[in-house]
Formats: sequence, structure tokens, C-alpha cells
Amino acid sequence: MTEESLLGRLYKDGETIVEEGMQSRTMYVIQGGKVKVVKNDNGNETVLALLGEGDIFGEMSLFDASPRSATIKAIGEARVLAIEHEGLMKRIKMDPTLALRMIKQMCQRIRDLNARLIVTKKAMHQASEGLLQLQRTEGVPRKDLEPKILAMVAQLQENLHTLTEQYVPRDESLP
Amino acid sequence: MSSSFTIHVLHSHPKAYCLHNVISTRRGARVILHDGARIAIIGGGPAGSLFCIFASQLARDMGKALDFTIYERKSFASYGASGCNMCAGVVSESLVQLLALEGINLPPAVVQWGIESYFFHTEGGSVEIKSSRLRQRGIATVFRGGGPAGSLAKGIQSFDDFLLQRAVEHGACVKRTFIDRVCMEGDKPRLYSGGNMLQDCDLLVGAFGIKASTGKMFEDLSAGYKVPPTTKAVQSEIELGSDWVERRFGHSIHIFLLRIPGIKFVSVIPKGDYITVSVLGKYPQSDHITAFLDHSAMKKFLPSGFQIPQKFCHCFPKISVGAAIKPFARRAAFVGDASSTRLYKDGIGSAYITAKAAAHTALLHGIGEKDFREYYFPACKSLNRDNLFGQHLFFVNKLISVVSPISRGYFHIVQSEQKNLQKNTPYSDVLWDMFTGSRFYKDIFFRTLHPWFLLYLLGAVVLYPIKKAFLFFANRWKGVVL
Repeated sequence: MTEESLLGRLYKDGETIVEEGMQSRTMYVIQGGKVKVVKNDNGNETVLALLGEGDIFGEMSLFDASPRSATIKAIGEARVLAIEHEGLMKRIKMDPTLALRMIKQMCQRIRDLNARLIVTKKAMHQASEGLLQLQRTEGVPRKDLEPKILAMVAQLQENLHTLTEQYVPRDESLP
Repeated sequence: MSSSFTIHVLHSHPKAYCLHNVISTRRGARVILHDGARIAIIGGGPAGSLFCIFASQLARDMGKALDFTIYERKSFASYGASGCNMCAGVVSESLVQLLALEGINLPPAVVQWGIESYFFHTEGGSVEIKSSRLRQRGIATVFRGGGPAGSLAKGIQSFDDFLLQRAVEHGACVKRTFIDRVCMEGDKPRLYSGGNMLQDCDLLVGAFGIKASTGKMFEDLSAGYKVPPTTKAVQSEIELGSDWVERRFGHSIHIFLLRIPGIKFVSVIPKGDYITVSVLGKYPQSDHITAFLDHSAMKKFLPSGFQIPQKFCHCFPKISVGAAIKPFARRAAFVGDASSTRLYKDGIGSAYITAKAAAHTALLHGIGEKDFREYYFPACKSLNRDNLFGQHLFFVNKLISVVSPISRGYFHIVQSEQKNLQKNTPYSDVLWDMFTGSRFYKDIFFRTLHPWFLLYLLGAVVLYPIKKAFLFFANRWKGVVL
């Protein structure tokens, strides 16, 4: 792969391509390498998805003009082609089928999110059921309850971890 | 985009009909592509391959299985003219983006050079124009064939071959057979080669480019089809080595607007070890290439002591400068250069537009003449209308380049704009969009009619000489005082 023959822009490992909360309507197509979609919550970075060659991102802001919902960072070197908003909207107006691939990808993401939501709800339901069960238990000393609650929290964390593992495939190049 | 084949209208054959007879006798019947329908595509260039890709994708979405056969005699992997579809080989910014959105990402072996800016060279100086919208290498330069004649370069993949392979992945069967006759047998086109019947097809797609003899044969079918008017260009591939190309040409396409007799403008397109020199003029000849390479404005881009080789890969490609008349018939559609194309540029982009429109018409509406007229022809007409605006823009551009005060004024504004790309750059954007094909000519045309655009240009034309005279006298005065 020669540098001269590459299209788009090269991002270095860890470089931010899209910043959460920023206002921008540019969409991107990955030409080479990988990127991660991350959400920051009080300094804690949660990886929502990993994307690779040919994947599209930033399409939500293209359509709804809202600020970026997540941060996208390069994993290793990633080359990304930006798609300019104004030109694309004009093209889509002329040829609506151009949006089909984006719609298909968004459909897949909704399916993934639905599946994750169901698993999360299940895990939360099990946890709340367990806590209610404990509340109903009479005559058990408080100190005996603590290990059970801790075990339940650990189980909940395990469930959520499995959930993340399932939908964000483990990648060795992840920092 | 070309494929050599001939068509004979066999008036003596009892079952052979010319297309217009079929059209007139079956005007009312509705024809659609059924599951298992056979589609023959004549020409395996971008238009033919893209038609196949889009039609097969849509067919799959609709739950249909279609049978595609692409007839292409050339092997695009060959060096020189035999494997090349003779074109400047620039994939425009908008087409790179559209292909990426379609899931067709151009691999490094196909992209010879990523382009991020255009240089305009005039007798008065040079200016570099970058896109004010995106900071990236968004334009690709490619070889249409396996590389220039005599090239030993390795790892080059032809753009046309790449698209043809994608079509094969979508289920197309590519045949190197020379089609020498096509006629209507009953209701369907039938293909022959060397006297042997090859196949009947439900839909015939003409993607043979602007090869006059082939187009003439379709015209002879009296279907009302008429090939587009063409002009000639001359282009050559000059080997300079990638280090030199990188150092002197950078990642820019260089447009030379010089006053060389017989030449409208010259584009120099970097491609790895090579540059492609493409000359547009009224009667282009290979002498124009040597005249250009000998010009002082170009000489500084060439190594010292550079001698024009006795033999170098050059060709005289035809460029479509108009539109085909009635690029469709019952069970037949013409796409790419054989139909409509954008004026002076983005021929591959036009192939994309026409191929997609024809494929979607065939799948979503039908393959009757009425279907193509209602749903495919508007896409062609839109390109044709846009070219009217393009003609006007290129005429004004020529006028500006000839009238020195205006060209100096425009040049000055563009230079100022390029120093600060964060601000609006309307004058640079007009040039960028005109020469890169990023926007339709109509869009650009109406931008140039904005009162502020004209007033500011007028101001620059008047003020620039005054400013220059003032600085001249100020410097002289300073010299006298000192």
C-alpha cells in the first residue's frame, strides 16, 4: 500500500475523527484500518462498537443535524474518506437509492441495539427480582445479606460485560 | 468504454426485424424483467460493469435472479492501447464518494495517485486551489488499462478491470467473444458471432462507448438512436519516476491555460511513475504534446535535460461533446458515453449516472420503450441540460483567460482566497467545481450570477491595476527620497 495512492485522510492511532457533542454534518467511509465508537461518561470510556473497512459512520448527524452522539477514534492507522454533506444531500434528492446502504446499516444497528436492550432489561429484571426477594426475607441479619447483594451485583456486572463482549467483538489491537 | 461488434439488419431473413418495427408493432405491450431473465451487456467498461452491479443488487433486493453476460473483447490487464479505454483517468471527487457509498472502495492498486488540489497555470502566473469543503485526497487518478505501453510497472490494477471484477462478483459472466451481429428475432434481441448464434436476451444494454463504427450500426437499425457528437483530444503518458512526480507535481492536477496555437487547455495528471498529458484543442495532434512539453511554463516541471522520447505512449481519444438521440428502445438501453456524458469531464461519473438510471428503470418499471422514455431518459436529459450551462461556463472561462485585466483580477481574488480557506471562497469554489466535476454546471452557473460575485470581480478588475500603479509610484517615490 503506497502512501501516494491512498484516498481520504490518514488518522494516527488514538486520533479523534469525530468528537462527541460537536456540530458537524460530514459523513465518513472507512477506506482502511479500524476505528472505535466510544461514549464518555464522567471520564470513563465505553466502547460501543468497532468499525472496519467499508463501514460508514457519522450518518445520523447527516440526517438529523444533531450534535455528534459519540466519539470516533482511530485504532492503529486508519484512512477515512469524508463525504461532504451539501453535495450528498443534493445527490440523494436526485437518487434516493443512494441512501439505501445507509438505511441497511442503520437497520442492522437498530437490530443490534434491540437485542442489547432485551438482554439488559433481562439482567436488570433478574437483579431487581433478587433484591425484592431479599427484602421479603425476614429475620435474616443485615451482615448475612451483604454477601448476597454483592454476589448479585457481581452477576449483573458479568451480564453487562458479556453483553458488551457479544456486540463489540474483542480486538487485539484495542488499546 | 468500447467493444467491437457489428450489427447486420437482415432484411432477407424472415424473422429478423429492425428495432423500430418491433417498437411500432408492440408499443402497447408491457415488458418487464422476470425471474431468470437474460441481460446481454455490450462493453465491459465502467458503464457496462456498473449497470450489471446496480441491476444485480436491486434484483437481489427484489428477490429476483437475473442472468448477466458482459461481452468485452479487451483484456484491461494488457499494457498500452490494446488494454486501455483511452481516457485521462480521473475519478472525480463526487464519484469517489458515490462509489464509497455504494460499497465500492477503490483499492490502492487501482488508485495511482490521490489528488488534493488543482494548480492553474496561466501566462501571468500560477495558483493552487484546494477544496474549501474537505481537507483530504478526494480525487483518484487511475489507469484505464494495465498501464502505459512499454511500462514495466508492477502492481497496477486497471480501473476498468477492477469494476469488471466487481461485476463478476455480482454474478456476471464475461465473454471475450466478438459480437458481429445483433438483430431482433421475434420480440427479443439475438446476438451472433462469426455466424454462430450466441444467445437471445430479454434486455440488450449498449455500453460500447463512442466507437463510431459500432454506434453507426445501431443507428442503422433505424431505432431512432444516434450516437453523440465527438471531438478529439490527444494524450500521452510520460515516465518521470514517482520521486520526481511527487516533488514537482505533488498531489495536484495541473491545468495549463497557455496561449499555444491550437490548444484550448492542457491537463497534467500525476499517476505514480507517470504523468498523463491531456491536450484539448480543435484539431489535436501529437505535435501539440511536444509543443506543450517545450513550453517554458512546462519545462520547469521536467528534469533538466529532459528529452522528449522518440516513441512515447500516446493516443487520440474521442470525447463526447453532446448527447445521443433516443438512447433507448424496447428491450434496449444505451448507457455511458453511448448515451449522455458531462461536457469535457467526469465521463466515468456520467457512466455511473446513466448506468444506475437504466438499471433501476429496467428493474423497477420495465424494459419497454415507454418505460425507458419515462424513467431513464430524464436522467440523460438532465445531463444534457446541465451541459448547456457547462458550455456557457467554459465560454466565459475562455473569455476571462483571453481578457488580461479580468483574468488578472480573478487570479488575484483566488490567490487571496487560498491564503485563508477558513473563510468563504466563492471564486475558488467555482474553478474547483468546474474542473473537478464536483458540482453540476447549473449549480456553478447560478452562483456566478450572484450580484456580489459579479460586483466583487468588477471591483478587483478596476482596483487591482490602480493598487499596482499606486505601489509602483510609491516605490519610485521612496527611491527618490532615499
